[in-house]
Amino acid sequence: MSKFDVTIIGAGNGGLTAAASLAQKGLNVLLLERHNIPGGCATSFCRGRFEFEIALHQLSGLGTPEIPGPLRMSLDKLGVMDDLNFVEIADLYSVHNPEGFHITLKPQKEQFLAELKNAFPHEKEAIDSFFDLVYQYANDMVGAFIFRDPEPSRAKYPRLYSYAFKKAGDVLDDFFNDPLLKAVLSVYWGYLGVSIDQLAFAYLAMVLWQYIEFKPYHIKGGSQALSNAIFNKFLSHGGWARFNCGASQIITHGDTVAGVITDQGDEITCDYIVSNVSPIVTYGLMIGEDKIPESTITEVKSRQLSTSALTMFIGFDCEPEQIGIHESTNFLMLNTDMSIRNHERMRRIDIADELMVLSCYDVSDPEFSPPGTCQANIVTLKYGEPWLRISPQQYLDVKFRCAEQMLKRVQAIYPDIRTHIEEIEVGTPLTHMRYLGHPLGAIYGFEHQTKDSLFFQPGRYSPIKGLYFAGGWAGDGGFEPTLRSGMAAANSIAKKLNQV
Amino acid sequence: MRKGIWEEFDGYRDILTEIEASRLVARKRSFTLDFADQYIHRLHPQQLKLEVADIIPETRDTRTFRLVPTDTVLPPFLAGQYLALYLDVNGICTSRPYSISSPPNQVGYCDITVKRVPHGLVSNFLLDRIRKGDSLTTSGPQGNFYFNPLVHGDTMICLAGGSGITPFMSMIREIIECSLSRKVILYYGNTSSDDIIFHEALSHIAERFDHIRYIPVIETATDDYEGQCGLITADLIKETAGNMETATFFLCGPQGMYDFCLPQIDQLGIPRRKIRKERYGPPADISQDPAWPPDIEATHQYSVSVKGGPQFSAPATVPLLVSLEKNGVVPPAICRSGECSMCRVKVLSGKVFQPANTPVRKSDTRYGYIHACVSYPLTDIEILL
Repeated sequence: MSKFDVTIIGAGNGGLTAAASLAQKGLNVLLLERHNIPGGCATSFCRGRFEFEIALHQLSGLGTPEIPGPLRMSLDKLGVMDDLNFVEIADLYSVHNPEGFHITLKPQKEQFLAELKNAFPHEKEAIDSFFDLVYQYANDMVGAFIFRDPEPSRAKYPRLYSYAFKKAGDVLDDFFNDPLLKAVLSVYWGYLGVSIDQLAFAYLAMVLWQYIEFKPYHIKGGSQALSNAIFNKFLSHGGWARFNCGASQIITHGDTVAGVITDQGDEITCDYIVSNVSPIVTYGLMIGEDKIPESTITEVKSRQLSTSALTMFIGFDCEPEQIGIHESTNFLMLNTDMSIRNHERMRRIDIADELMVLSCYDVSDPEFSPPGTCQANIVTLKYGEPWLRISPQQYLDVKFRCAEQMLKRVQAIYPDIRTHIEEIEVGTPLTHMRYLGHPLGAIYGFEHQTKDSLFFQPGRYSPIKGLYFAGGWAGDGGFEPTLRSGMAAANSIAKKLNQV
Repeated sequence: MRKGIWEEFDGYRDILTEIEASRLVARKRSFTLDFADQYIHRLHPQQLKLEVADIIPETRDTRTFRLVPTDTVLPPFLAGQYLALYLDVNGICTSRPYSISSPPNQVGYCDITVKRVPHGLVSNFLLDRIRKGDSLTTSGPQGNFYFNPLVHGDTMICLAGGSGITPFMSMIREIIECSLSRKVILYYGNTSSDDIIFHEALSHIAERFDHIRYIPVIETATDDYEGQCGLITADLIKETAGNMETATFFLCGPQGMYDFCLPQIDQLGIPRRKIRKERYGPPADISQDPAWPPDIEATHQYSVSVKGGPQFSAPATVPLLVSLEKNGVVPPAICRSGECSMCRVKVLSGKVFQPANTPVRKSDTRYGYIHACVSYPLTDIEILL
């Protein structure tokens, strides 16, 4: 077949939900994916007897059947909820430092606040006020944007209007004095890729609020289970997929989509394209800069790429408790610095006092790794560009050197890990560049600065008629936003075809 | 600029100023990032185009092919990794992995050492038909069988069998040529003393370097053979290896070697995490697998339909990958041992057999994804590539 209604380029989260949604609406959809599996970074790999989850740490936006979150509603619409087994994670996150500080926060508002006030009694009132603000802000956001109030106003949503564009670091400074408390509250900057001094308060407030209200989840079978379920749904609706086959060119007639040329050289005719690939690659390599309006090119060029990461996957030959891992999400902190110096840490190759997050899925799901074993996934954020300046002959040495530095940091909190390591694998920003094809291995799309939020950038829209974007480059990064972005792209196309 | 209520949020004007400034700066920036792609290809080429610069006889049935790059620089790799050779053998496009026997510090050429396998399609093709000057296309270096400085201690206790010596040659050469401090104790098993590949080189190295020890073990020795006889046993290792506290075991050889040696190593009380095994191809005879259904025989044939592709008949005891290749369907394949997952395909209908320890993702098993190189049709099947 070479004529389709829609071609989806890339089977990452956004491409998959777009594909499944469009096929569900009865359209003829072709999904092209250059890897041999669906999922993009929503996948896992096997080493020895372990299956290492790559990217899913804590699934957000799910909620319960009684109080569904936006992700549950989207997955329900796709009809994949019955194919998936979600495990609610009992702890939200823990923070450890080598001096013995250890706090565990739960995803329940009262417990969360109680634990904070217990650890920081001198900031009791401030903690309550801050979370009053967070909840008021979140309620304003939900009212104005999720429920699409047709007549929003500053009077109705005062916190939204005054706090949306404030910096998280500034707001924390307004409320609190204790640097450790501020650091403990801001660790999720790691899930967003922008240091707290630059990160919009909106992001910090929403990520805390929605994890507490909709709970963090793990999926049985990891993110590959999610990718496979959505892909399977796509197939069941008559979707066509070609793996080991990406798209090398998008054909346009004037400013309108006409089709795609695949990596294998054959031509596909279609009226609509959803690109799960960055606009940089889509416009720059697949279409050609000269065919895109200059204003769009300037817009894309004016954005920064998000950070990449150094990731370490470890398979242990023991249960998590044996090496002192009792919680599933652990932030390893060496200092409480929330300044622009975090930016410098992300730019240097070596690892010293970076914030790291150690996730152990076996704590929430003891069946995740084989009996008598467990795994840990350790991440620290690193920009990709400095890695391109390492001579290729030195790359492996540098990789092992950084891994050794990471291991030492982990050992400072969990001293017994070394004698239990059965498998260990390291992903550098170059690994992410290689497997994801994202410019400079960026894992969160464009950097999440306030000026690049969906208020200001085109998101899924393109000046090319028929071309839409889905995924981390079309909005926020992370599982929930990217999965939902595919649904949004599908809806846009369906509206054009009057087939909602 | 998108229109909405945010235009009235506090700080909106400041953001607009930032955006304006960023666009002014942007005009000077380059749009595409080709240099990153080039760097990745330098490290991880999809394919290497190599020329046979020399063919070096090793034993009566083994030769080393010295390969030099024609259009690129050899990528870095870890000693112990392999290349998959992509070949057209009598009209069938297939591939075979061969460990690199030259060390990673040797950037001028890449050696693969090929031993003739009786009735083997590729080894016989390489040994009988490939000449100096011929071109070969290969994958980039792949594999998880290497010394990991993070966790493997300071001593490598290596067990090699037959052509399984090849990754160890790369490792040992790297250690002596780069003056690395780690120690090696190599036990090398062969059926007869005529078959010992690299015997002279290994003996010579062991003579000159204290930290490299070489113990050949011959299964059926002739009267004049003075070295170790029999198999590589726990007793032999215990008597000769010394302190094994900071050692990691590395094994590479035919299935028979693993079947015998792994229980021997177990007797020594070596924990699982200190044992590294190289995967070595699909099982020689899948019908010997304890879980193989007894009513399915080698003569049974089943229909294989490729969605959007051809339909053909395939024998039950031949790996699906091989049957696909014989019928002109060539999925990507690298390790051909069930490990790398490149040949992953989806079974849409029908039943397939895979050995129990095949590392397939949990969710893949549920949705019918298999590794074609170690999968065998048990009924008529339809697959999606």
